[in-house]
Formats: sequence, structure tokens, C-alpha cells
Amino acid sequence: MSIQNLNTFDPFADAIKSSEDDVQDGLVHVRIQQRNGRKTLTTVQGLSSEYDLKKIVRACKKEFACNGTVVEHPEYGEVLQLQGDQRENICQWLTKSGLVKPEQLKVHGF
Amino acid sequence: MDEDMVFDPSLKKKKKKKTGFDIDAALAGDQGESTSVEAPAASGDVDLPEDDNLDLDNFGKKKKKKKKGVFNMEELENTMPETPPAEEQEPQEDDVIDDLDLEIDFSKTKKKKKKKNIEEPMIEDDIKGEDQENIEDTTGDWIGTDRDYTYDELLERVFDIMREKNPSMVSGKKQKFIMRPPQVVRIGTKKTSFANFTEICKTLHRQPKHLLDFLLAELGTSGSVDGNSQLIIKGRFQQKQIENVLRRYIKEYVTCHTCRSPDTILQKDTRLFFLQCETCGSRCSVASIKSGFQAVTGKRAAIRAKTA
Ligand SMILES: [Zn+2]
Repeated sequence: MSIQNLNTFDPFADAIKSSEDDVQDGLVHVRIQQRNGRKTLTTVQGLSSEYDLKKIVRACKKEFACNGTVVEHPEYGEVLQLQGDQRENICQWLTKSGLVKPEQLKVHGF
Repeated sequence: MDEDMVFDPSLKKKKKKKTGFDIDAALAGDQGESTSVEAPAASGDVDLPEDDNLDLDNFGKKKKKKKKGVFNMEELENTMPETPPAEEQEPQEDDVIDDLDLEIDFSKTKKKKKKKNIEEPMIEDDIKGEDQENIEDTTGDWIGTDRDYTYDELLERVFDIMREKNPSMVSGKKQKFIMRPPQVVRIGTKKTSFANFTEICKTLHRQPKHLLDFLLAELGTSGSVDGNSQLIIKGRFQQKQIENVLRRYIKEYVTCHTCRSPDTILQKDTRLFFLQCETCGSRCSVASIKSGFQAVTGKRAAIRAKTA
């Protein structure tokens, strides 16, 4: 008797895997850090490497009227940095532009 | 800060007090209306505030709604004639024609009461009172008969049983524990003291290190517990901000994800943390604490000097 049909084969396994490799745990972490004094910094970690982060940061800088940069991290890949508390802005922007699904966003901080 | 500010992670949906630190608010705020798991618990039927009247009221409300439908039927007879079943419409027509007949005809059945409502619109309290009567009537109604139970009777029965078996649920005292809000004071210009950090760890039954890791990871900063068992955090934080982080900690690592009881144990099992509930027995894995990416914020020259 063939039990081929009972094999647990997931035809979408590779698709899921490749998309998760890019963003580690599949989440986009938006964090806030305090700098000197009242100044803060927003970081966005876990954006898919398929996106051109340089382009994203350029758009964000214009949109939120703040400075920003992309840093390369050995473990976390390319990370977006924006000046000030842009957590709300970036979350809205990322979901509105369709780059990130709302359930993928994880906002940290106070 | 305020001595009488209380932290109340109970099941109750009570309106949150401005000063209170209420986990419900946190949970509701984070999860929005989309929470499906807790739906039965939060729907208002199970949440029983202190006064025992309310469960009756709840039932009253349900019944009232039903009756209101009948009520409306009469009022809106012209506008929506299809909706009410024919058999219920008839008595109303009779009603208009001949009151006495009707009273005799339907005196044995429930319809009498409905008719009463239709005839003389009562103030709400009266209806409620009658409903309570009604409930008492119906509870034992099917005993000795072989008719089918009505939905309301069964609902009533199951809630009676639930209340009987869980007396604590009725009083609403269950799963309520009071936690003082975090005492947060600025130290100088660059540091913040979280004075009752250790006390809060004890209240939550969590290892200080675990809460510390979470706080520091979320705040994206560093800090340590000093000799007076207070937590010194680098950076300026307000009480409100620490409170927010604590709420999220409690939601993820203290209250049960299924029943929201705070009576839980956090166990470490092969790299993963599991939240084991002592109330409902559910066990689920919780997110591990990762600080993630940290941007360089200090003076770069100083860092370079240090590492070089
Ligand atoms: Zn539970």
C-alpha cells in the first residue's frame, strides 16, 4: 500500500522560508533610543533586503522632515535610522506603502 | 507618586480610573476589538462586578431586548409587517378588538406578560422587575413537563451552575491583585531611578533579571539594580513611560494568554520561555527578550578611544 499521500509535503515551504530568512523572525522591529538630552532616535530593523533601503530612507527623510541613514549591521542586516521619535510616522508609512503588513510591525519603547 | 494608585489586572471591564494602572486598558488598547480568544470572557456576561444584581440585570437586558422586539412590532406594525411571525401578530390584532377575550385565551401562556407590556408601556424599572420575576418563574418551569427548554432557560441554567461552582467569579474579586505604580524619579540629568523595581518584581512573581532585561531592551538603554534595590536606568524616563513598558511586560509575560489570570509561572525550557497558567492550565510559549539593534548614540570619539 502506498502511503505517498500521507507525506507531509508543504508546497509553500520554500516560499515561506525565503521570506523569513530576509527578516529574521519575520517581524519589523521599530525601536526608540534616547540620545543626549531630549533627543531621540528611531531604528527600524528587519526590513526585507529586497527593498532598497536607501530609497526608503530618502522618502522618509522628506516625508517626516527629519534626517536619517541606513546602517549595515553584521547580525541584523541593514537598519534604518531616523532622527526623533518617528515610530508612528514610520509605521504608518510602511503599511500605507504596502512594504510591511501591520501584523509584521513590532513597536518597542515607552 | 500617588499612594492610592492601584494596579488592577482583573477581568473586569470596569471603566478605568484615571489614576489607576489598569491592565485591561493596556490589553484593550493593544489588541483592539479583534481579540477573539477572550471574547466570551469579555462579553459582559461573565464579567460580574461586585453587586450581585448585575447578573440578573444582564439577563434582564437580554429578555428585555426580546420583549422590545415585540413592543416594536406593535409600534412598527405598518412599517415592517413581515418580520414578526404570524402567530404572534394575531393576538395583537385581537388585542385591539377585544381585550377580555385575549386575557382568557392566553392566560396560561407567557403571552400574557407580553400583552401586558404592549398594553401599558412601563417604565424601565418595572419591566426589569417583571423580568426578574419572570426568571424566577422560568427556572423551575420545565420540571415535571416534557416540553422543550427555551434558550433563555438554558442560558439561565448554565449561568446558575457557573455561579454556583465559582462563587469568587460572582464577587468579581478573583484574579485581582493590586500593584503599586512604578516610582520613577530622575537622578541628575541623565539617569532615572525606578525605586520600587524589586517590589514590583515580587508582586509579579518574576525574576528581577527577566524584567530588567525586558525593560532595558524595550527602552533601548542600559541600567542596573543598585544597593538599595532600586533600578538605575540610563536616560530620562517618566513614570508614564515606564508604566507603558510594564503593561506590555505584564501582558506578554505575566497574565495568561488564554484566560488572563495573573496566577502563572514562567518556565524556561530549552531556550524558550513558557507561560504556565495555574488557573486554566494553559501553557504557551512567550517571545524571548531580544534587545535587537542598538544604534551608536554616545560620543563616537570616546568610543573610538576606548576600543583603540
Ligand atoms: Zn489561564
